[in-house]
Amino acid sequence: MGAVQLTGVRKLFGALEVIKGVDLSIADGELVVFVGPSGCGKSTLLRMIAGLEDVDYGDIRIAGADVTELAPARRGVAMVFQNYALYPHMTAYDNLAYGLRRAGMARAEVDARVRETAALLQITELLPRRPKAMSGGQRQRVAIGRAIVRKPEVFLFDEPLSNLDAALRVEMRSQIARLHQELQATMIFVTHDQVEAMTLADRIVVLNAGRVEQVGTPSEVYHNPANLFVAGFIGSPAMNLLPATVGQGGRLTLAWGTTMAGPACSSGMAGQSLTLGLRPDRLSLVPQAQAQASGQVTLAEHLGDESILHVRLPIGQSLTVKASGDVAARLGDTVHLGFDMTHAALFGADGQAMRSA
Amino acid sequence: MTTASTRRMPPRKSVQTVIYHAAMLLIAGIFLLPFYWMTISAFKNNAEIFARPVTWFPDPIRWSNIAELFNRDDFPFLIQFGNSVFYAGSVALAVCFSCSLAAYSFGCLRWRWRDLVFGLTVCALLLPGIVTFLPVYLGWSRLGLNGTYWPLITPFLFGDAFFIFMLRQFYMGVPRELLDAARLDGASEFRIWWQIALPQVWTALVIVGLFAVVYTWNEFFSPLIYLQDREDFPLSVGLFTFQANRAREWSISMAGALFAALPMVVLFLLTQRLFRQGLASSSLK
Ligand SMILES: Nc1ncnc2c1ncn2[C@@H]1O[C@H](COP(=O)(O)OP(=O)(O)O)[C@@H](O)[C@H]1O
Ligand SMILES: [Mg+2]
Repeated sequence: MGAVQLTGVRKLFGALEVIKGVDLSIADGELVVFVGPSGCGKSTLLRMIAGLEDVDYGDIRIAGADVTELAPARRGVAMVFQNYALYPHMTAYDNLAYGLRRAGMARAEVDARVRETAALLQITELLPRRPKAMSGGQRQRVAIGRAIVRKPEVFLFDEPLSNLDAALRVEMRSQIARLHQELQATMIFVTHDQVEAMTLADRIVVLNAGRVEQVGTPSEVYHNPANLFVAGFIGSPAMNLLPATVGQGGRLTLAWGTTMAGPACSSGMAGQSLTLGLRPDRLSLVPQAQAQASGQVTLAEHLGDESILHVRLPIGQSLTVKASGDVAARLGDTVHLGFDMTHAALFGADGQAMRSA
Repeated sequence: MTTASTRRMPPRKSVQTVIYHAAMLLIAGIFLLPFYWMTISAFKNNAEIFARPVTWFPDPIRWSNIAELFNRDDFPFLIQFGNSVFYAGSVALAVCFSCSLAAYSFGCLRWRWRDLVFGLTVCALLLPGIVTFLPVYLGWSRLGLNGTYWPLITPFLFGDAFFIFMLRQFYMGVPRELLDAARLDGASEFRIWWQIALPQVWTALVIVGLFAVVYTWNEFFSPLIYLQDREDFPLSVGLFTFQANRAREWSISMAGALFAALPMVVLFLLTQRLFRQGLASSSLK
C-alpha cells in the first residue's frame, strides 16, 4: 500500500542544486532512515515527499500513484517536525482533531479517533492542555499523535528526537520502533545521528551533498560501506582509513612500510594505490613482535566497558583503537597494534569500495 | 549579633536616581500641562479662563458646559462623535484585514518577485501623501463620491505600507513548520492564515488596529477636503470649524476637545500593557 518510489528527483533553490538526482524505492511497511551530515538535503528530500517543496525534475510515487503534483494533504502522508510544530493556541485534543476536521469527518468519529490515538500513545491526560503547558517529551508524543491520528500510509519524521535530552531520546526511539511494529506503516525517518539510524532502520539511506551514497541494511552499510564517505560517516568512533599500495601477490604495503596479506580482492592489483579501511574494534593491543604498527597514545577515553585509544604513529598517521575496558594504556604510553583483516574494506583511488568478485 | 541575622536593607537610592526622577516628572508635567489646561477650561466660563491670576481649579465647576455641548444646534457634537467612531473603526478594521493578508504573504509565503514587490511597497512609505493627493481627489470627484466616507475608508482596504511593514515583522516570526503542518492537515491557504498564522500575531494586530484608530481619530486633512456637510464631519474637523466660527466660546471648544481626547486616553489605558509589549517585541526583531 504505502510504497514510496523516487525517480530522478532533483531540486534547485535558485541556481543551487540541493538534491542532485535521487532514485529510491521504499517498500510498503519499511522503516527507512535518511542519514547524512547537516545540510546534505535530508529535510529537503523529505519535504519533497511530503509535497511541501516543489519537485523540479523527476517524479514521486506513493502507493503506485504519481503524487508529484498533488497537494500535501492528498498524498496520504503525515509528518513530525523537529520543533514539533504543534499549534500553540490549540489544546492537544484540537491539535489532533484539526486534520480530521479538515477532512470533513463527523464529530463523533473525530472524538473516537482522537481518544483511540491518545490511548495508544498514553497522552489522554494531556488532551485538554496546550503545548505551552507540556514538557518536551510530552509535546513530542502529541506531535506523533497528530501524525498517527490521520492513519496515513507514510510517516515522515524530520529529526524528531534531536530536541530531547539523551535519556528521553532513547525512550522515544524505542517507542517509535514499537509504533512501527504496531502500525505496520511505511516510515521515513531523518536524522544526522547515526546511532539512531543504526538502531531504528530496516534500511539506511546515506546522503551526502544531495546524492545517495549508499542504500542498505544497517549491517551492510556498516560492514560493506560502498565508498570512503560512507566508511567515514557510519560507525562511531569512525573507521581508520589508511593509505596503502598493493605489492606482489596482493600484499599490502602501508605508509609506514609494514607489509601484510591483503583481503582477497587486492590480488591482481599490483602497483595500485588504495585506502584500507579498518574498524577501530579490528585493532588490538599486541606484543611488539606481532605488531603491524606502534605509536604513542594521544588520548585515552575509558568508558567503563570499553576504552577508545587514539594512537599517533611516528609518520603522523592517527589510528583509533577500540579496546576492552580494562586496558591500562595511558596518555603518552607507547603501544603496539595488531590488525585483524576480517571485514577490512579496500577503496580504490576513486573512493569506491572494491569488492571481491 | 551576627550579620547573617540582620536583614539586608535594599540599596539606598542614589542622588542620581532622585535627579533622574525629578527631571522625568518635570518633562511629564510639561507634556501634561496643556491637557490639564484643556480639562479645567472645559469647566470654566470665558471670564474665568482668562482671569489673572490663573485659577488652577475651576470654581464653581460649570457642569452646564457639558450639557450645552451635547445640545447645541450649531455644533452636532454627538453626531460628529459618532462619525469619528465610524470612521476610525472602519479604517481600523479595513487596515487589520488588508494589511494582515498582505503581510502574511510577504512574511510567510514564498513566491517569485516577493521581495521586490515588498521593496516597492515600502517605497510607497517614502512618498508623501500630498504628492498623490490631487489625482486621487479628481478620481473620486469623477466617481461622484466626494462628500461621502468612501474616499476616506476604501483606500485602506488595499493596505497601508507602514502597517504592512510592521505586521510582516511579526509574521516572519511564525515558524514555517506550523504552516506546513496545517498544509499537511489539509487546510486551505486562506484557512492557514485565519486559523494558524493570525492567532500567533494577534497582539500585533490589536496594536496595528489601535494605531489605525488613533491615526484616523486625529486625521484632519482628508475629511476636511472630501466632506462638505457639518453633519458628516468627524470630530477633528467638527471641532476646528466650530472653533473657527465661534471663536469666543472657548469653554465649549475645550469641552468638545476634552470629550474628543477622552476615548483615546481610555483606549490607551486599557491596552497599555499590550502596547508596550508590542513595541518592545517589534523593535527587538
Ligand atoms: N528555502 C531554501 N532556500 C534556499 N536554500 C535552501 C532552502 N532550504 C534549504 N536550503 C539549502 O539546501 C541545503 C539542504 O538543506 P536541508 O535539506 O535542510 O539539509 P539537512 O536537513 O540535511 O540538514 C542546505 O544547504 C540549505 O542551505
Ligand atoms: Mg534538516
